[in-house]
Amino acid sequence: MATAQATPSNALCSDRLARRRRGSLRFAAVLALGLGSIAWLGRATDPATRPLAGKPITLGATIALTGNANLYGQDQRAGLTIADRWFREVGFVEPEGSAEGLSLRLQIEDGGSDEPSAIAAFNLLIREGVVALIGPTLSQQAFAADPIPQRQGVPVVAPSNTASGIPQIGHFISRVSAQSSVIAPLSIAEALRRDPSIRRVALFYAQDDAYSTAESSIFLKALKARGLTPVTVQRTQIAENDFQAPITSALRHQPQLVVMSVQAVAGGNMIRQLRELGYQGQIVVGNGLNTPNIYPICQRWCNGILIAQAYSPELDTPINRAFLRLFREFHGSQPPPQITAQAFTAYQVLAESLQRLQRKRALDSVTLGQARARLMDELLAGRYQTPLGPIHFTPDGEVVQSRFYVAEVRMDPGGRDGRFALVREQQLPEVTP
Amino acid sequence: MIELVLQSLLNGAASGGVYALVALGYTLIFSVLGVINFAQGALFSIGGYFTYLLLGGKIGANGAFPGLALPAGLPFWLALLLAAVASGLVGLLVERLAFAPLRRSGSEPLQALITSLGAGVVLVNLLQILMGAEGYSFPEGALLMAGLPDALVIAGARIRTVQLLLLVVSVVAVVMLTIWLERSRAGKALRAVAEDPTTALYLGIDSGAMVRLAFFLSGAMAGLGGGLIGLSVSLPGPYFGIGYGLKGLAVLVLGGLGSVPGAIAGGLLMGLAEALVPPDASGWRDAMAFTILFAVLLVRPSGLLGSGPIEKV
Repeated sequence: MATAQATPSNALCSDRLARRRRGSLRFAAVLALGLGSIAWLGRATDPATRPLAGKPITLGATIALTGNANLYGQDQRAGLTIADRWFREVGFVEPEGSAEGLSLRLQIEDGGSDEPSAIAAFNLLIREGVVALIGPTLSQQAFAADPIPQRQGVPVVAPSNTASGIPQIGHFISRVSAQSSVIAPLSIAEALRRDPSIRRVALFYAQDDAYSTAESSIFLKALKARGLTPVTVQRTQIAENDFQAPITSALRHQPQLVVMSVQAVAGGNMIRQLRELGYQGQIVVGNGLNTPNIYPICQRWCNGILIAQAYSPELDTPINRAFLRLFREFHGSQPPPQITAQAFTAYQVLAESLQRLQRKRALDSVTLGQARARLMDELLAGRYQTPLGPIHFTPDGEVVQSRFYVAEVRMDPGGRDGRFALVREQQLPEVTP
Repeated sequence: MIELVLQSLLNGAASGGVYALVALGYTLIFSVLGVINFAQGALFSIGGYFTYLLLGGKIGANGAFPGLALPAGLPFWLALLLAAVASGLVGLLVERLAFAPLRRSGSEPLQALITSLGAGVVLVNLLQILMGAEGYSFPEGALLMAGLPDALVIAGARIRTVQLLLLVVSVVAVVMLTIWLERSRAGKALRAVAEDPTTALYLGIDSGAMVRLAFFLSGAMAGLGGGLIGLSVSLPGPYFGIGYGLKGLAVLVLGGLGSVPGAIAGGLLMGLAEALVPPDASGWRDAMAFTILFAVLLVRPSGLLGSGPIEKV
């Protein structure tokens, strides 16, 4: 067995080893100190740790003001602006800087129409210390951006995300926009009520759009539940506006009903081209066309299309009357679109929850982080009379809405303007998906 | 089946005509300066909106001046022409702001690509501020189409009347531009500058004026295309021209950089290739078109009618 001998070279090696160890320890200590300092500084600058008192509470909204979805974003901005005005008018919210009552301000950031822009806008608003977030506009953006406020404990109310699984991202994520699975089948039912002999159905959807693909599968399920299988399924693209080829192909199957799930302008063009190329049957459209902005596109050809809605301007309640009045003050005689009403509702549920917390003095002497957590609990516990009708939330943040509508587009004689005329109101028993 | 093919061919030719217009705009500028003007897509959008406004269309609720409209709409052909001229003037502005300063300082052409891209983004966002994001459709009565049927049946194929108008106008515009370039004094001067700016200068041709002319014509071509597409499928929003701008760029490469006949042939080929994709696979339309582009470039790297080193106008 060999034994170690203390030779000069061995002594030199062990000395070097000891020096290296000491060096490593020093390096580790400096690194730990550095990281600790960064963490402490980070903690000190994290707005969640700051006291809430003495400042106006800020609601942040991230909506698509640029990019392909900006049409929806502009409608949402109208809803948020009106809500801000309404809650000041009725005295729920005091003007910015007021000493008494709830001092609330709204900060809107452009979330673009893509995921990175929505993430950047969420991050910016969180850093600026908002108490809650409204947005983003598209479901596809929500899947990418919502995990950020969820991790940081910032409540989010989605005003227009209808895809499955959004509130399930986490405790802090909720929505006021009912899922397509609840709404979409109602218009199919209405079309079949009008013509029970329908057997031949054509389905069109944009295959590169998350909303369209999700909604088209819901339409398919609704059709199958009634024993109908589409005679043709035409897949288009989100940016496409010339549908003559797929329409001609579909019309060869002589459909009695056309169902489409596409975005607003594409849908307007599709309806127009369907009619121009000779289709005369019923048309059922999805949530993407739930905006009066389709009227100038499909003009007289819009007449008679059926759509299921989570909002009807014809709902006769005090809050909806107030909402309509304010909308008309800003935007003339045209009735507000559903997406505007949902944006209003998103602001409303947050403002009312904050108001309740304020009354309970639950916002006194708390940090912003604590206020955010309390707001989320209060939001989920509340019941709200909104322009959409009465709503509340499930414990995981899904909206519970019982009142839905089927509308038919009726264009005026000039064909440039029209309205969603209420055809049927559906009272569903406490619908949760 | 024959009807379907005929309908696809006519639709493809109509789209191809518009692609050719956009590609011709790129070609003119590329010929004289050797750079690509990425603001071309924005000029396409601007042409569509100018046409809409000149037809008497109102600015929507989300625009800067909601409800604003001309007291009376112009006849369609006049509106289309004036909108093309206005887009040409905006093209000139792009040249002044995004290209001329760099040219004067002797910058690399790549820098002009970036400034033109920036100019395009600014123009599209200005459009959004002024007009809002909503879609617009041309007033029906202003199109001189009120008395025409929605669609015509040709050899059993049902074709939208607007598609036929689009085809005729784009063909006429392309033919007129080609004749002008070949026969007119200014057209010849433009070609001379494209061929060799130094020699052209010795011949007494004002190359600066020719550059400005190229930008004006290029903007006018894009504006005309925007007005025609607006007629066919409405104005879906301020960004709608960007897609056509990119398609025009692909056509430019397909036909051969700087080649006028190449731009026309490339446009038609691209339009027909898209139209002949079976309707059941219409989602693959762009993929099919770009596959053709890829295949052509593999066989002929200089494009369909390009020859070796870049052939200029």
